[in-house]
Amino acid sequence: MVTFIAGLLDATVQAATVLLLAGMGELISERAGVLNLGVEGMMLVGALGGFITTVVTGSHWLGFGVGILLGMVLALVHAFLCITLKSNQVISGVMLTLLGTGLTTFFGSGWVEESIDGFPQMTLPLVGQYLVDLPVIGEALFRSTATDYLALGLLVVVWYFLHHSNLGLEMIAVGEDPEMADTMGVSVFRLRYLAVLIGGGFAGAAGAHLSLAFSQLWVPGMTAGRGWIAVALVIFAQWRPRRMLVGAYLFGLLDALRIRSQSISLTLGPDAPLAGVINPIVEFLMTPQIMGTYPYLATIIVLAYAVIRTKSDQLAVPSALLQSYSRETD
Amino acid sequence: MNVAVTVDAREDIPVWLAYGTPVFTVLAALAVSAIALVVLDVNPIAAYATMFVDTLVTEFGLTETLTKAVPLILTGLAVYLPLKAGLFNIGAEGQLVAGALAGTWIGLNVSLPGLALVPLMFVAAAVAGGIWAGIPAYLRAKWDVNEIITSLLLTFVALELQSYLLRGPMQGGTGNFPQSERFSEAATIPELVSGVHAGLLVAIVMVAVTYVLMTRTRLGFEITFVGSNDEAAQQAGMSKYYVYLFVFVVGGAFAAMGGISEIAGAQGRYRAGFEPGYGFTAIPIALLGRNSAVKVLLAGLFFAVLFVGGSSMEVAFGVPAALVEIIQALVILFLITAEFFKSYRVGIDLKRGPAETPAKPQRGDD
Repeated sequence: MVTFIAGLLDATVQAATVLLLAGMGELISERAGVLNLGVEGMMLVGALGGFITTVVTGSHWLGFGVGILLGMVLALVHAFLCITLKSNQVISGVMLTLLGTGLTTFFGSGWVEESIDGFPQMTLPLVGQYLVDLPVIGEALFRSTATDYLALGLLVVVWYFLHHSNLGLEMIAVGEDPEMADTMGVSVFRLRYLAVLIGGGFAGAAGAHLSLAFSQLWVPGMTAGRGWIAVALVIFAQWRPRRMLVGAYLFGLLDALRIRSQSISLTLGPDAPLAGVINPIVEFLMTPQIMGTYPYLATIIVLAYAVIRTKSDQLAVPSALLQSYSRETD
Repeated sequence: MNVAVTVDAREDIPVWLAYGTPVFTVLAALAVSAIALVVLDVNPIAAYATMFVDTLVTEFGLTETLTKAVPLILTGLAVYLPLKAGLFNIGAEGQLVAGALAGTWIGLNVSLPGLALVPLMFVAAAVAGGIWAGIPAYLRAKWDVNEIITSLLLTFVALELQSYLLRGPMQGGTGNFPQSERFSEAATIPELVSGVHAGLLVAIVMVAVTYVLMTRTRLGFEITFVGSNDEAAQQAGMSKYYVYLFVFVVGGAFAAMGGISEIAGAQGRYRAGFEPGYGFTAIPIALLGRNSAVKVLLAGLFFAVLFVGGSSMEVAFGVPAALVEIIQALVILFLITAEFFKSYRVGIDLKRGPAETPAKPQRGDD
């Protein structure tokens, strides 16, 4: 049991990092008022670019950087379309996911057989060597890949940036009330561009983490909907970085549980009361595919609950989300 | 020298721009995709000739295209109708899957003669698709919960459910493939003409119904009114609530009919992953055809040509079929770029020497 939980936690950390990175990017972009439904495509581009770079150069950090860069390139298209040309954010995002999927399937077909030395597991510097022997949580928390630690570190940076730095607060203002921000001398245009680009960089990083640390190989479409989960995660977290940490680990745990659900038995013994009724239900609920619906259902419930319960001005949805901004018309 | 870019809202759209945009965007997308072909050492002209000419002149290509167009037209309508009311349905894929699953269940478990069974499968599919779309519609109409996100999330729920059912309760056939039992004769949609099943007729009828609804009925007028100005519509005494529910539920039913058509008409059994993103392709289809249901039909046919031509290009040149996805995405990205030039006149002023007044763009983009 202890080994099982330790292994589960370890898998949770790995799965959570992908969601955390992509989710942080989405969070920043949405906070500035731009919904990015292209995360999945940006992740794939980052995953393939990072992988090819690592195969060619042998440096996984270089690959990681290229992944970030490529995510930003795709995000630049999104920013140009949504901010400069005031196009519909939903259409642009969905099409960029399609473009990213198409491009990576097209150009990545020759790289499926390649193998790389991805990010190695390392103990956390300074304190890791003392804590890694802790039962259950030691391995999961203190022996991970560098990108796992990086994601957690970045979460603190993002939280501080958004809520305690001038630039971050201006960004939030742009997402809440662009006209007011404009009147106060904040450049709506520049900040939205910045936010979308940062978002794309994070998505690229999430993809690169996926191919370089998580699975250490390239398969077309390997993000398997994690980009969409990241979009869901931001809603689940109500656009707040700290709640996103909880959400990412919760969704990561579901992901990890799902892969291992066959080896878990929560059914009652045959003699227990109501076993005949409860056991089939439990078995159904523990099926991997049924578990796969939980993140989506949870997000719908949380979203509906939040909207119904709170007044719209108390809800954390950035007020100007999905709205393009131009001075003359407003 | 000083360059100033001016951007002014257009009063009206010139005719050449209005009609040239779809043609231009398609050509531009093909031109850019040609780069990918050149990288793969394939002659783009020869490849495109295969893609379009073979598809349209051979009998096989034509029947394939008409078959493929059925789910594309129907999911296109599923996005088009809510779009008319100002709502975004990006969950047509989920509605298609939910409908196809329900229709398949009826087809495999109910025994009736074909004349009764196939219509019943369509009804079951439409009900399931309508319910699947009804969830985001109700949440939006009643509580203002964003329908974009909820309809999208429900797509992934439907896909997981499909995977569950086809690996468990509904799995049939031999081997371990996630697929259902083969349909009996009675549960198969009959052929209309050789190679093309009667689902095409359903799609055409639904296009006609939508066309009449939108242009000839009071409800169609209300949908358009709510879509262009929901507050004015409310004041005029129209109920946003019912309009929202109607367009989404009917749209979901359309998508579902597309799903069961494809399964019981083209495939012969439910195979997991039979839908190569019809619901997402529906978005460009609805956008290209957003002026009228008939244009949705034309756009659906165009994308069917792309899909079928893409696979014949795959066979002939070994080009990954993913090129179709790239072309599809580029068409839309160029189309929304063109939308900007449709609504704004962009001028470039070249002035010699330092300008007297600082060159400031007229639009507030800094």
